[in-house]
Amino acid sequence: MSAGLRDIELRSRKTEILIVVTVLVFSIPLILGYSLLILSSFSKEMVTNLNPRDFIPTLRNWILFFEGRTAVFGGIRVNIWHIVLNTLIVALGVSFLVTLVGSMTGYAVSRLRFSGRKKFMALLMLLHAFPGSVMVVGIYFLYLMFLPSYQMVRLYSFFFVIVARASLEIPMATWLMKGFFDMIPWEVEWAALVDGASRLRVWRKIILPMVKPGVAAVMLFGFLAGWMDIIYVRTFLVDQTLATWIESNINAEYSYLPLVAAAGTFYLLPTIIFFLLAQRLIFTISATGVKG
Amino acid sequence: MVVVRLMNVTKVFRTGVVGVKDINLTVNHKEFMALLGPSGSGKSTTLYLIAGIYRPSSGKIFFDDRDVTNLPPKDRNIGLVFQNWALYPHMRVYDNIAFPLRIKKLPENEIRKKVLETAKMLRIEKLLNRYPWQLSGGQQQRVAIARALVKEPDVLLLDEPLSNLDAQLRISVRAELKRLQKKLGITTIYVTHDQAEALAMADRIAVINNGRIIQIGTPEQVYTKPATVFVGGFLGNPPMNFIEGEIVEEKGKLYIVIAGQKIFAPAHYEPIIRRGGWRKVVVGFRPEDTMILPECRDRNECVKGRVYAVEPMGREYIVVADLGGELVKAIVPRTLVLTDDQEICLCPSLEKIVLFDPKTEKSLEVLAAEKE
Repeated sequence: MSAGLRDIELRSRKTEILIVVTVLVFSIPLILGYSLLILSSFSKEMVTNLNPRDFIPTLRNWILFFEGRTAVFGGIRVNIWHIVLNTLIVALGVSFLVTLVGSMTGYAVSRLRFSGRKKFMALLMLLHAFPGSVMVVGIYFLYLMFLPSYQMVRLYSFFFVIVARASLEIPMATWLMKGFFDMIPWEVEWAALVDGASRLRVWRKIILPMVKPGVAAVMLFGFLAGWMDIIYVRTFLVDQTLATWIESNINAEYSYLPLVAAAGTFYLLPTIIFFLLAQRLIFTISATGVKG
Repeated sequence: MVVVRLMNVTKVFRTGVVGVKDINLTVNHKEFMALLGPSGSGKSTTLYLIAGIYRPSSGKIFFDDRDVTNLPPKDRNIGLVFQNWALYPHMRVYDNIAFPLRIKKLPENEIRKKVLETAKMLRIEKLLNRYPWQLSGGQQQRVAIARALVKEPDVLLLDEPLSNLDAQLRISVRAELKRLQKKLGITTIYVTHDQAEALAMADRIAVINNGRIIQIGTPEQVYTKPATVFVGGFLGNPPMNFIEGEIVEEKGKLYIVIAGQKIFAPAHYEPIIRRGGWRKVVVGFRPEDTMILPECRDRNECVKGRVYAVEPMGREYIVVADLGGELVKAIVPRTLVLTDDQEICLCPSLEKIVLFDPKTEKSLEVLAAEKE
């Protein structure tokens, strides 16, 4: 609707160019790093020395990767699709749990005036500030407290990874969703109640569709958090995910780095795809989503 | 259909803020009742109490003989139109209007029939496939009304539905809404802060201020016989003039002294003044009931003043006059030529004067009636 509107025209053409150039300069290390990784994955030698003669094009790294080989020689093979599946289980599980809990607590914090609400919000912020690695040991003990034996943690390892990782993401998701719920006027909810809908129905038919972008964002962030996680997966998961698999192959004696570069590029794909698809969404969130 | 009764309804919010206090109100079957008051007066609170969105702290609400005090909104069969219309942004107009019927689980063909009927009545049948954000303010408002009416409610509640429209549109919708209400014969309660809207549309007006109902009456009654200084000052554009006066008696006749000048006390007030022994009063008179003459012939009906400013309003002129340091307004025909600081004679129509007690700010009639 406001396609014709623009920013106030204060900036001159020159400053605009200057800004673009600055942004480009600052992103050079980032772009360079990723390009070298991707190039290496198609090369016989790593090209990270910035020596063009190192680049010998080949697809062998990728073929080896999909065959599940960890080295050029020797017979160690893994089922790479199994590892991808493991990663997906963790990522989708975290995504689902974060979305479910985050949207519900976000609604509660936005709509209900319970005592201690402000403190609760501050506490969530604080929780978000803690790095996840600090809490691994604590979480492990927490699990042991509620479980009869260490064996149980092993048995339900996926469950534990997902719960632990999701709980780290939920504070941020709650804040994000609160911002979205805050934007819905009470009157819309009242109107639906007056129209005869039950609370649950109002939630499902009126509220949820209105915060769709928020839900999508939380799902996305949850997915990426699960996809990227390494500490919790290493601690709790018996099986390997892409992250732990790559990590274990970097330091191994037999490691063949161009192959790891292929794995790394593959590992980056969802992140790149999501951010390309969701650029608009992310902008909306940074503009409106998170606010007190 | 339905008579809405509020009995001693009080609403105190959890924060301790008193929304409304001891409200008694009966809205008759098919009646168009306006709740009129400034913002924060408790008029919307009253409406939400009737809707069931708020629950009264004490008191009871009846629809006919049915006690609905503790019923949730969905069991009251009401239609509610909000100030911001509260349309469902993710639904097309058709689905917005159909929403209450879908909740009732009506068969789809019946829903279709009713939605089309209502849309036709409000002349929005061409917009059914659009989303709310594709509509103008006036169209959105029609959709909101359609959604409220489609379920054939017993009571229609409107919370300042016109205040988000531009002035031109507001006036044209006013008449339309009034006609629609009469045609459908739905008991209607209309919240507004716009006195012109209330006067134009309502069968009766309840004036609310500070969480209390101050006066209930027909537009005529509320306008000509305001119960308090507040009501007189809130209704009318420009509102009623107020000026302090003193009662004196000479040769068995009662006079009011305004700005050092005597005028007759209105005849119908004489017994009230005598019985109450009033000395000091506030004299209220409406600008349109005030004549301006270039010169006073001393007949004890007019007071001398000075022109402070003249505001040409097109149809008539508003003269702001300085009356012993107080500014009062009078509406005069365009033919009268006046210059600033000119001496003039102000003649309020005596039978239309309203006298108030300066302490309680209630009209002397109301106080006299309270005593009995």
